[in-house]
Amino acid sequence: MTAETSEVTYVPDRENTWRFVPKHFAIFLVLMSVWELANRMGLADPLMFPRPTRIAEGMLQIFFLKATVWEHLAATFAKAMGGFIIGTAIGMGLAIGAALHTGFRDYLKPYIILVEAMPRIAVGPIFVGWLGFGYGSAIALAALVCFFGPFVNTMTGLMQIDEESEELFRSCRASKKQIFFKLMVPNAMPLISAGLKLAAAGAFAGALVAEFIQADVGLGVMMRRYVITLNMDYAFSTLLSITVFAFVLFRSIEIMNYRIIYWHSEELMQRKSKRRASEFAGIINKQVSGTGGQ
Amino acid sequence: MSDSLQEAGEAVSKPSATNSDVVIEANALTKAFSEEVIALQGASFKINEGDFISLVGPSGCGKSTLLRLVAGLIEKTSGSVKVRENEVTEPRTDIGMMFQKPVLLEWRTAVENVLLPSELTGKITDEDRSRAIQALHLVGLKDFEFHFPRQLSGGMQQRVALARLLQTGADILLLDEPFGALDEFTRERLNIELMNIVDGTATTSLFVTHNIAEAIFLADEVMVMTPRPGKLARIVEVPFERPRSLELQLTPEFNKIESEVRNILGSYV
Amino acid sequence: MTTTSLEPENTVNKRYVKALRSSVKHIVTFALIIGLWEILGQNGQLNKYILPWPSLIWAQLVDLFFISGIIYYHFYTTLAEATIGFFIGITIGISLAVSAAFSPVFRRYIAPYAVIFSVTPGIAVTPMIIAWFGFGWSSKIALAALVCFFPPFVNTLTALTRTDEDGSDLFRSMGASKRDYFWKLQFPNAIPMIVAGLKLALTGALLGTIVAEFVSATAGVGILMQRFAFKLQIDGSFATLLTMSAMGLMLFTIMEILDYKVVFWKRDSRLLSVSRKRAAKWRRDHGNIPM
Repeated sequence: MTAETSEVTYVPDRENTWRFVPKHFAIFLVLMSVWELANRMGLADPLMFPRPTRIAEGMLQIFFLKATVWEHLAATFAKAMGGFIIGTAIGMGLAIGAALHTGFRDYLKPYIILVEAMPRIAVGPIFVGWLGFGYGSAIALAALVCFFGPFVNTMTGLMQIDEESEELFRSCRASKKQIFFKLMVPNAMPLISAGLKLAAAGAFAGALVAEFIQADVGLGVMMRRYVITLNMDYAFSTLLSITVFAFVLFRSIEIMNYRIIYWHSEELMQRKSKRRASEFAGIINKQVSGTGGQ
Repeated sequence: MSDSLQEAGEAVSKPSATNSDVVIEANALTKAFSEEVIALQGASFKINEGDFISLVGPSGCGKSTLLRLVAGLIEKTSGSVKVRENEVTEPRTDIGMMFQKPVLLEWRTAVENVLLPSELTGKITDEDRSRAIQALHLVGLKDFEFHFPRQLSGGMQQRVALARLLQTGADILLLDEPFGALDEFTRERLNIELMNIVDGTATTSLFVTHNIAEAIFLADEVMVMTPRPGKLARIVEVPFERPRSLELQLTPEFNKIESEVRNILGSYV
Repeated sequence: MTTTSLEPENTVNKRYVKALRSSVKHIVTFALIIGLWEILGQNGQLNKYILPWPSLIWAQLVDLFFISGIIYYHFYTTLAEATIGFFIGITIGISLAVSAAFSPVFRRYIAPYAVIFSVTPGIAVTPMIIAWFGFGWSSKIALAALVCFFPPFVNTLTALTRTDEDGSDLFRSMGASKRDYFWKLQFPNAIPMIVAGLKLALTGALLGTIVAEFVSATAGVGILMQRFAFKLQIDGSFATLLTMSAMGLMLFTIMEILDYKVVFWKRDSRLLSVSRKRAAKWRRDHGNIPM
């Protein structure tokens, strides 16, 4: 059971990236122009590689003029979100049980290894067979695909407390509940939120695959329809919307994580320090004036 | 000479001490983790109220095991260990611990870390809060009360841990190489600060270290331990007056005790 | 701090006894679950179109492997597609990462695309890949390569660009060339992360292949699975799923062994045997040097 704790997202040096925005933009424009020209000159099959202007036009159409994308976007979002919530709840529930109960962990282990090695997305057709083409199968698949990240990370996180911390709590006669909520949970938070990020990616992928297999509404369906009718410019526009959607989803989770694990950020720590100091000041002043009156 | 050096095994106490002054008492205390691994074998000793005792010995001699047995964190295999005439079976409120690592919760500010013991035993009162602030001031952390551990240096983190120890209100302090991970200068300063805090109070301290000079400098008595299996070899008395200053370490009397301790350990190290 | 002694023989035996006991426990639990499931099925408590019971699944497995034997064709197709895709993907991923690690300019200009790539699920392009490469094996390989290229890319790049100033100072003080620095320090240091990336990549390659097969294919375990499911032969689907899991487990185990063999210095259990081997080699090659 190897903890998949490494996040596979690329984090570039932010400052550097911003400084080079104009250059990036220029390069992007050149690339696009070459593509466009190659298309117009007949060097690339426009049916397969539609030119950028057509893709842009497609974006305009599906987002605003025909506004067809919203319905599918909402559907995919709902499926991914449903799967995410269910999968995360199951994964974290199992993880808490496994972390707190050695016996349970022992029994769970072989099945977890099996589930880890299994291409979980492959269960898709069975779910579609059971639950039909609607939301049910997509949510189930999304949940199945995404439960693993939160499971492994939560369990690893809860179990990684060092001996001394536990001894400190025990020497203060802390209860099991106190050790869990005041030590284990906060200590596991960085890993848990990394797990949630993996889960979001998994849920989104799961929902998309379920839609590819068979569905009536969703970005996957939309894309598949355009491809089958060889409407490649619209298919590219759909892909682009998937990217935008995924990007927004990821950034929101990253921002959330950044806020939750405030003790990893110098800036947030300073802000919190100030706030707590002012909260405390009231109490101390009251206390000091109280004792001063004696 | 024979006054300051006594065989362990037979319990040791100051002649003047009456039995009611004894805070910690161990008799043939033994801890084995398995049949082969005996961490501590047959330790017997008495510690009087207000004493500062150092436990010195090489790695694996059972110092930390002894400390954890007194703290009630692990169960003994045989023998007895009593604190204030009660057999230790679980952690007690009159015992506080400090570790080599500061063991701070990094999501809490310094003062919130200091408040942890109060929080674990009940609801935090305003009195707890002002005591925590005072403790932080006492260990020299004025203006750092609301810093997070990551924003503090190693020495300052250990100071927070010391303040947290004071906050427990315990009058028996178990210190497991508390400054062992710090640089020499910081360690010396913190040792002196610790001594100043404890001196003249009724606080009883048990201080684990593997630094012989530090052990002698701080203590009224040095318990010398030897490894494989962990045993209490001798108890050496340190007769120097308090308050002590660092120059004490340069005196011939100090060196004499130091070489005594070295001799006891010599055959094992 | 406990007295540590070398572990005597009999505790090793005890450990085996303990392991045996725990595996017996697992087998009994497993047998109980399967037994209960089977009994429920035989008694008509389960719908075979929804949750077929173990004997039905077993019958399908026997049929797939021994009677009709149709699984082999699909199994090997998927395995070959995934493996080829894996090698193409990791070759591209690692070479891009190495170039990016050595050229800050290149690194800077691919950064935005890498971000986009990292958030878009690779499998989202499945329908397009099928349109471009057709229903045959090439589309599966392409998707497998696409899905699995990213983890080795990120891990290799991250590991190679990790700054180790002391290490770099040490190598420069010894007059090492840039090439020596790369091959003797940077690269070996990066190996654990690269292998971790390869593990993720292999899972990705299998996943990409199967998803591509779901969307459109003529051969492969994915299409077999889909055919069973759509015919409501759920027992067949389960049998195929088990086969896929076995394939996943097999590939996974290969990567674990690779990790175990290659990254020996991170595992205490491996250090002893490797150091013995090196000592033997030293004695063989340099026996004349007095020790």
